[in-house]
Amino acid sequence: MRLLWLSALACNGNAHALLNYPRFEEWQEDFEWLYHPLLPSTHTLAEVEEGIDGVEILLVDGTLEEGLVKNRLAYKQLFERYAVEAKYIVTVGTCATFGGIFAQGGEGRSGLHFSGERRHGFFDGFWEKTLSLPGCPVQPEVLAGTLSLLRSEEPLPLDTLHRPKYFYAHTVHDGCTRNEYFEYKIDEHRFGALEGCMFYEHGCQGTFTHGSCNKILWNGVHSKTRAGTPCMGCTEPDFPREGLWHTSKRMGIPARLPLGVPRRAYLSLAGIAKAFHIERLERPMMEDKRG
Amino acid sequence: MAEVRLELIEKIEGEAQVRYVYEKEQVDFAEILFLTGRGIEKILEGRDPWDALTITPRVCGICGHAHLIATVRALEECYADLKLSRKARTVRELTLAFELLQNHFKWFYLTILPLLDLEAPMRRVLEPSRILGEMIALLAGQYPHNSYAIPGGITGEITPVDLLGVRQRHRHLQKLFRRGVIDVDLELFVHCDRIEEMLKRAGDLPQAMQRILDRGWERLGRSHDRFIVFGQNDLFAAGKSIGTRLQKHLDLRYLRESAIEGSRARRVLYRGKSYETGPLARAMLLKTPLIREAHRRYGDSLFSRILARVCEIPRLLRYTEALIARIDLSEPAWIDPGPFPENAEGTGIVEAARGSLIHRLRVKEGKIASYRIVTPTQWNLGNGSRENPGIAQSALIGLHREDPAELVFKSFDVCSVCTTK
Ligand code: SF4
Ligand code: SF4
Repeated sequence: MRLLWLSALACNGNAHALLNYPRFEEWQEDFEWLYHPLLPSTHTLAEVEEGIDGVEILLVDGTLEEGLVKNRLAYKQLFERYAVEAKYIVTVGTCATFGGIFAQGGEGRSGLHFSGERRHGFFDGFWEKTLSLPGCPVQPEVLAGTLSLLRSEEPLPLDTLHRPKYFYAHTVHDGCTRNEYFEYKIDEHRFGALEGCMFYEHGCQGTFTHGSCNKILWNGVHSKTRAGTPCMGCTEPDFPREGLWHTSKRMGIPARLPLGVPRRAYLSLAGIAKAFHIERLERPMMEDKRG
Repeated sequence: MAEVRLELIEKIEGEAQVRYVYEKEQVDFAEILFLTGRGIEKILEGRDPWDALTITPRVCGICGHAHLIATVRALEECYADLKLSRKARTVRELTLAFELLQNHFKWFYLTILPLLDLEAPMRRVLEPSRILGEMIALLAGQYPHNSYAIPGGITGEITPVDLLGVRQRHRHLQKLFRRGVIDVDLELFVHCDRIEEMLKRAGDLPQAMQRILDRGWERLGRSHDRFIVFGQNDLFAAGKSIGTRLQKHLDLRYLRESAIEGSRARRVLYRGKSYETGPLARAMLLKTPLIREAHRRYGDSLFSRILARVCEIPRLLRYTEALIARIDLSEPAWIDPGPFPENAEGTGIVEAARGSLIHRLRVKEGKIASYRIVTPTQWNLGNGSRENPGIAQSALIGLHREDPAELVFKSFDVCSVCTTK
């Protein structure tokens, strides 16, 4: 299947992340890069500007900006030419999907269909064939996997933002090694430790962020939250919020609660969980022989 | 009659344009233009200082980790009395060095070899890149774009199991280097000072360097022969050198940035002069034998520049091995630095893959009042005037039409996204 990768305002992180895909070479056998910003490709960017044939999947990367010119042509013109004939359009990463970090750096910037949560409608004609793969960067397994499933015409259930459910139905919280501290409401957390959960003090957004980070581990080995870094919510429309390392509170409890959990339910649950005083979770994990 | 040609340079972490002015068959003048900008510095203004740890890695998808380390150093300078364990310091040095290694592999295989019409199997670049990503992730959670370095240390705790994973991969990496890039004993190679010795070995590096010699390109791409290095650690030495004359002392107050007409990049000068930064500069400051020899023969040419970059790999491999051995896991990973000061200033300096990277921030009433980033590409690619051209400009000026201008340009390893931060 023939792929065309067109970057707008990007950091190239999505392109580099893809190279870490563990089965990259085998995966690539099923595809041809008409253009990719790093990898050997069939065409040069100048040729893409002049016009090439045969685009099947158009990959949009980076934040769009009104009037953005790549070389000679406006990005918009380039995009529209290939979007018409492409069978699918995939927004790669949070910038292309929702606007992301760079949308905050200037006027007239957005994702392909969204400005944060709002559908702006400029390219509505292409909405039906668009898939959203947010993430900053998107996990290589998510991008490579989606492209392969599209190729084999596998049905791909999507959520309302057109994110494939296989990869975005879970929250980042699922599979985090700090889950027990969350469940039993042990709200103390210090950086530099294996113990504790960053939800209460340090801004972890894992419980309300859609993504596979703790299910499909990063680089096959680890994740931010396992390594003690709060999830920054990088797959969500409002990334990056302000005050990413602090949990904002309402009447002493975190202002944002786990996806779908009403405040009252959370409060009763927290009350009960706290009452248990799970001693095991209050001791240093590696020093406690009782396990 | 002068002829003007605008050329698109692609696959340099984005794109740039070069506007060549040819006089007869020679480049009479060249200007390097970056068309887009993203405004990261502006995005940071008004934010909580810690937010920078999340935002600045996104300056660049290939050297984002260097930006993180520069940020954490700048933030730490804001505290009056910050404590950092040796362990945290060492682990950060380690992940930074892994990124340098990864960048060097990628540049050599994806950028340089194709321009020499040489082909190597894709796995020669994919394997080391992936393994180095895993090594960073084992310590930092993920790669690219983690934020594990924070004021006072690192976010998580590291166990002997994680280190075991790092050690094993390190061993694998050494094998891949010898099998692919050049088959040498690392220890001996670091002290080697004979170009012929290097060329005799098996591997993609000797092949590439031989190709440059065969085509008679070894003296192309010479510039002002002025080098600068700001970062200082156990591997690199700070200072500047004009030709081989070294001067250790640098003062950031002499650094000036200014706008470039028609481009979104800013140039940067030290005491009014442009300097080359990056692996060749680092090797000149360190007096690395093989690179000094290349420089003696061919000057600050593309030959010396490419060799210097790839020859950092064995140095980095030995350096990281020593760092791993030095980690004392009983030390704390993080020491609470207390609340962030309301008003403060800080500078963070890092040797990134392409050269010196400098972050400076000012905090007022608990928020970022200003954030400035000076990237390696700004040093190397900033335009000057006809009388006083910049580093890459002067390397391009004088080239003949049939000379490999793109190779000269890319020997600096341009990072477009960093420049257009
Ligand atoms: S640290 Fe974040 S992802 Fe992990 S358990 Fe706590 S809330 Fe969930
Ligand atoms: S853990 Fe959160 S911030 Fe990190 S990559 Fe996953 S979704 Fe993004």
